[in-house]
Amino acid sequence: MTNAAFPQVRIVPIRMLKPATAERLLNMLAGIAGIRRMMIHGPGLPKKVPYGPARGSPNPHSDRKAIRVADAEIALRVQVGTVILEVEDASAIEEIRSLCDDFFVEFPYLLQEGRFMKTAPTLVDYAKYGPDADTSLVGLTDPRNGEKPVVIRTEQ
Amino acid sequence: MAYKPQYGPGTSVVAENRRKQMNPNQKLEKVRSVTDEDIVLILGHRAPGSAYPTAHPPLAEQQEPNCPMRKLVKPTEGAKAGDRVRYIQFADSMFNAPSQPYQRTYTEMYRFRGIDPGTLSGRQIVECRERDLEKYSKELIETEMFDPALVGIRGATVHGHSLRLAEDGMMFDMLQRNVLGDDGIVKYVKNQIGEPLDRAVAVGKPMDQKWLKAHTTIYHSLVGTPYRDDTEYIEYVQRIHSLRTKYGFMPKEE
Repeated sequence: MTNAAFPQVRIVPIRMLKPATAERLLNMLAGIAGIRRMMIHGPGLPKKVPYGPARGSPNPHSDRKAIRVADAEIALRVQVGTVILEVEDASAIEEIRSLCDDFFVEFPYLLQEGRFMKTAPTLVDYAKYGPDADTSLVGLTDPRNGEKPVVIRTEQ
Repeated sequence: MAYKPQYGPGTSVVAENRRKQMNPNQKLEKVRSVTDEDIVLILGHRAPGSAYPTAHPPLAEQQEPNCPMRKLVKPTEGAKAGDRVRYIQFADSMFNAPSQPYQRTYTEMYRFRGIDPGTLSGRQIVECRERDLEKYSKELIETEMFDPALVGIRGATVHGHSLRLAEDGMMFDMLQRNVLGDDGIVKYVKNQIGEPLDRAVAVGKPMDQKWLKAHTTIYHSLVGTPYRDDTEYIEYVQRIHSLRTKYGFMPKEE
């Protein structure tokens, strides 16, 4: 959950990222020490066709695959549109900005500062995780699909 | 003096393209060629080569009532044969796609017969007899009204028209019906409702940015022609808006 003491930023590339590019970007960000939490956001790529006459049939999609970030494997289930980050302090933001300036060369990007993560558990969070849920994990994943956040450990 | 339709206001290239698409006397430029079999595969309504299923016996075999309207209006080929009514649906990206839902409906109403278009914000569906549909679809796909990257043939799950494009310039498609190959050619690997095809159907290379900007029918202040630059269009829209707002008060033009 959002702690007002920590600043948040959002990386918005002008194009939506392919898994390979997202992997490079996230690995680059994983090297920054001041990032507390990170969220990948974008339109979903369901495993099955959700509606229409072909509803329920498998939906092969080349962008729905697992990527490796530091020591963790992340199964992408969205097309990467934005990356939301919660950082320790403003110096991390400047580090992110300078790395992203070098990273996005083929198309531009925006680095926005603001509040992008959930500030309080919703009714669904309460129903899924109960009253004693770890508030630092609430809001990082979709409570409806049962997936847990991935913990990335970087070498200190 | 005979009535001559003007099709639409505006002095910009976008307005010009809109008029061009709507005007049935203007031949649309053929940009790519797709075979009849490929169209049938993308539509997914029947197997290629199979007979057209029918909804009623052919008109020639039916006893038609003595109706002056039926004498006046000649049936289309599909109606004559009693074909089923089937559809094609398009989703057009806002990033300079060559046509847009409302534009498509206007264009089809001017150019085609026996159709029932449905217009929504991000998609446009047109229903008609199957035989006619295949003919019209071919025209819609082969001409300058289509771009392989920015226009999607999507029967269901159309989301993507207002999203940012992917890195390779393709419009987002949750079902990834069309993929951009290494050879730069876009191929449909699923039919319009998302069922995998036995073989990929090539629909050509995506058009370049310059071509798209010159052939688009949407205003876009960031990637294309800004709406505000077309003062004639704005003046017209404001006049219509003003008149219809005042309509209840019996407006009189100055």
